[in-house]
Amino acid sequence: MSLMDSFAAGLALVWSLESLLALVGGVLVGVIAGAIPGMSATMAVALTLPFTFAMTPITGILLLVGVYKGGIFGGSIPAILIKTPGTPASSATVLDGYPMAEKGQAGRALGMALWASCTADLISNLALILFAGWLASFALSFGPPEFFTLILFSLTIIAGVSGDSLLKGLISAIMGLLLATVGLDLVYGTNRFNFNDPNLMGGLNFIAVLIGLFAIPEILTMVWNPKGQEGQARGLGGGWVTWLDYRRCFKTIVRGSLIGVVLGSIPGIGAAPAAFLSYSEARRKSKNRDNFGKGEIEGVAASESGNNGVAGATLIPLLALGVPGDVITAIIIGAFMVHGLQPGPMMFVANADIIYGLFLGLIISSIALFFIGTVAIRGFRFVADIPKALLFPVVLVLCVYGVFAVNNNIFDIGVMFAMGWVGFMMLRFGVPAAPFLIAFILGPLLEDNFRQSMLMSGGSPEILFRGPITWFFWGLTVLTVVAIARAGLRVRSKLLEEKRT
Amino acid sequence: MKFGLKAALAALAISASATAAMADYPERPITMIIPYGPGGATDISARTIAEALGEAVGSPVIMVNRAGAGGATGSVAVQNAKPDGYTMLFARVGSHTVNPAMKATLPYTLADFRFVGVYEINPVACAVKADSDIKTIDDLIAKVKAGGVSYSSSGVGSLLHIAAAYVLKEFGIADPVKDAIHIPLKGGGAAATAVLNDTATFICTNSSALASFVANKQLKPLLVTTAEPIVGFDAPTSADLGKPALTQLVGWTGIAGPDDLPDDIAAKWGAWMKTATDDADFRQKMESRGSVIRLMQPAESQAFIEGQYAVFRKLVDDLGMRIEN
Repeated sequence: MSLMDSFAAGLALVWSLESLLALVGGVLVGVIAGAIPGMSATMAVALTLPFTFAMTPITGILLLVGVYKGGIFGGSIPAILIKTPGTPASSATVLDGYPMAEKGQAGRALGMALWASCTADLISNLALILFAGWLASFALSFGPPEFFTLILFSLTIIAGVSGDSLLKGLISAIMGLLLATVGLDLVYGTNRFNFNDPNLMGGLNFIAVLIGLFAIPEILTMVWNPKGQEGQARGLGGGWVTWLDYRRCFKTIVRGSLIGVVLGSIPGIGAAPAAFLSYSEARRKSKNRDNFGKGEIEGVAASESGNNGVAGATLIPLLALGVPGDVITAIIIGAFMVHGLQPGPMMFVANADIIYGLFLGLIISSIALFFIGTVAIRGFRFVADIPKALLFPVVLVLCVYGVFAVNNNIFDIGVMFAMGWVGFMMLRFGVPAAPFLIAFILGPLLEDNFRQSMLMSGGSPEILFRGPITWFFWGLTVLTVVAIARAGLRVRSKLLEEKRT
Repeated sequence: MKFGLKAALAALAISASATAAMADYPERPITMIIPYGPGGATDISARTIAEALGEAVGSPVIMVNRAGAGGATGSVAVQNAKPDGYTMLFARVGSHTVNPAMKATLPYTLADFRFVGVYEINPVACAVKADSDIKTIDDLIAKVKAGGVSYSSSGVGSLLHIAAAYVLKEFGIADPVKDAIHIPLKGGGAAATAVLNDTATFICTNSSALASFVANKQLKPLLVTTAEPIVGFDAPTSADLGKPALTQLVGWTGIAGPDDLPDDIAAKWGAWMKTATDDADFRQKMESRGSVIRLMQPAESQAFIEGQYAVFRKLVDDLGMRIEN
C-alpha cells in the first residue's frame, strides 16, 4: 500500500460524523477538565476511557487524544487567571501569565497561550507523522546515562527562573531537591525520611506541592493584608493577543515546540520539564530578558509551546515502539489493546489505515483546539475581573477540592497547606518558588538515572561519558554554567562601578 | 415504654438506613489502585478487567496508578483505606508475595488485606533483545559466567527481580545476586524498554507484558516457565529444558480490600468478578496475551496466595535476598 493509499484509507476512517464529533467533544471535555485545578489531563483521559470501549477503535482513540490535547491547553487557563496550574504541565505558564493577568492583560495572555499551544500542537503532530520512526530510534538511544546528563543540563533552568538573586534560587532548588528525597529508596527499597508514615512512603503528592507553592501564598498574603490590594484595580481582563505579538514570539514558539517534540519522544520525561526548558531557553535568547517573570508575553508563549509540543510527540514511542511515554499515553495504549491492536512497528503494516486515520485526526484536533479554545477563553477571561475578595475564597475551595481529588487523600490537603506556608515565607523573603518546583520534579529523575547508571557500570563514572549524546549534554551544561557565571560577574562589576562613581 | 418505642424506632431506622447504604453500594465511583506504573503487566491486566467489571458493577471504576517500591506505596494506601469498598487494590504477585517475602520492614503483611478473588495466572518468560547474540538460555548462562550480564525489573521486591535470579539459579549459577546485576526501574513498561535500549541484557517477566514486543520482533524469548508452550512464544518450555521446578514461577493478579472489608461487600465483589471473568470478550483479550483466566473464590484465593508466599520465602532465604532494613 502506497503512502497515498494509506492516507486515503485513513481519511475514510476519520471523515465521518462520529469521528469528528468524538474529536471535538474530546477537546471540549479536555479544556474544561484542564481548567479545573486538580482535575488533571490524566484524570480526564482516565475517566473518558470507559466510554471508548463501545466505539470503533479510531473514534475511541481520537476521543482520548482530543481530551489529552484539550487538557494540556486547559491547564493554562487557571494558571494565568488564578495562579493555580490546572495541570502540572502548565506550572511554567504561571511565571509570566499571572503577572500579565495582574496587569489587566488576562485576555492577551490567554490568547497567546492558545495560539502558542495550537502552533506547537501542529508542529508536534507533523513531527510525529514525518519522523516517528527516526525519533523513536533516537529515543531508544536514551539509557540512564543519557537521561542523567539531560536532567543535569535541565537543572541549569534554575538560573533562568531565579529572578534577581541566583543564591536565593539555589537555596530554593536545594530545598526542592531535599523534599524530593522523601519516600522509598529505588535500589534498596528502604525507608527514607518518611518517619514510618505510610503517607510519606510514596513521596509527597506532586499536585499538592504544586498548588501549595503557587496558589496558597497568594491567598495567605490576601488574608495577612486584606486592604493592601484595594487601591489597585486589576483592570478588565479584556484585550486580545495581536498578530504582531504572535510574530514577535514566533521563533520562541517554534523553539519551544521542537524542545517539546524531542523531550516528548523520549519515554518518561513528560510535559512539565519541557515547558520549563523552553521557558528558560526563551529567556536566555530574548531581548526582553529582564521582563521575564514580570509579565512577558514571550514567557507564556515559550512555556505553552513547550508543553503542547510534547502532546503529539508522546505518541511517537507509543506507535513506533509500543512503549508508553507517560501516564496518559499508557491509558491510550490500554484503549488500543482493548480493541485488539498492538502498537509497535508491526502496526504500521497491519493497521496502516488506523495509523494514518489517527495522523489526520491529530491534525484536525489542532484546528478544533483553536476554535474551542477561543470560545473557552471568551468565557473564562472575565474571571480576572472578579474582585479578589470574592475570587480568592472560591480559589481556596477549588484548591482543597482539587488536591483531595488526585488521590482521595486528606493527608495531601495537609501537605498543600504546609507547602502553602513554606511558599508564603519564601514570598516574604523574596525566594523564588519556581526553582523549588523544578528541583522537586527533576530531583528523583536525576537520582534514579544516576544510580541506574552506576549499577550498569559497576560504579565506574566513565559510563556518564559513554557516547555523543552524553557529551552533547555535558557540553551544554558547561557552556550554560559558564554563561551564568559570566553574567553574574558582569552584574557584580557593574554594581561595583556604580558604587565607585 | 414510649421512650423504648422511640429508641426501637430509631434503631430500626438506623439499621434500615445502614442496610440501604449497603444495598446501594456502589453509589459512587470505586477507586481501584494499581500499585505499579503504566504499561506493566498489572496495569494491562487491571485496565482490561476494568472494562468488564465496569459493566458488572454498574458504576464507574476509576483506575489510579500509584507506583513505587515494588507495589508497597499503592498497597499501603489500600491497607489504610476505609473498608467501605470504595478503595480497592489490584494485588499482584510482586506486592503480595515477593515483596512480603523479601522485605522485613514492609509496613503491611498478608493479614492486612482481604482478598476477594484471584482472577488471572501469568506464565513467566525470559527474553533478550531481538538482535542479541544470545540465542538460547545456555548462551545466557555462559555469558553470566563470563560476567557483566544485567537484568531489569520493575523495582525491588517485584516478580521480575526474583524471577531472573531464580532462573539463573536453576541453570547452575550458584550466586545469581552477585554474578548478575539487578537494575531496578519504575514500572514494567520501563523494565521492558531497558532491554530494548541495551540498559539491561535480559528480562524475566509475565508473558503478557512481553507479548506485543515478541509479536513485533523487538524481543526474543529464551524460555517459558510453564510446562505447556505459550502461543506466540517460540521458545522451549520448562518441560523441554528439564526444569520442572520452574513451573512454580508464575504471576497472578487479584483484587483485595482492607482486612476489615465487610462480608456483603466481599460477596458482591465475588459475584462481579464472576460476571467479569465469564465475559467472552474479556477472556479472549486476556488469553490472546498469554494469561490464564482462573477465578478463585475468596477462601481459595487466600490459600493460594499464602502457598505462593511460602515458595518465594524459601527462595529468598536460599538466595540470601532478604532485605532487613
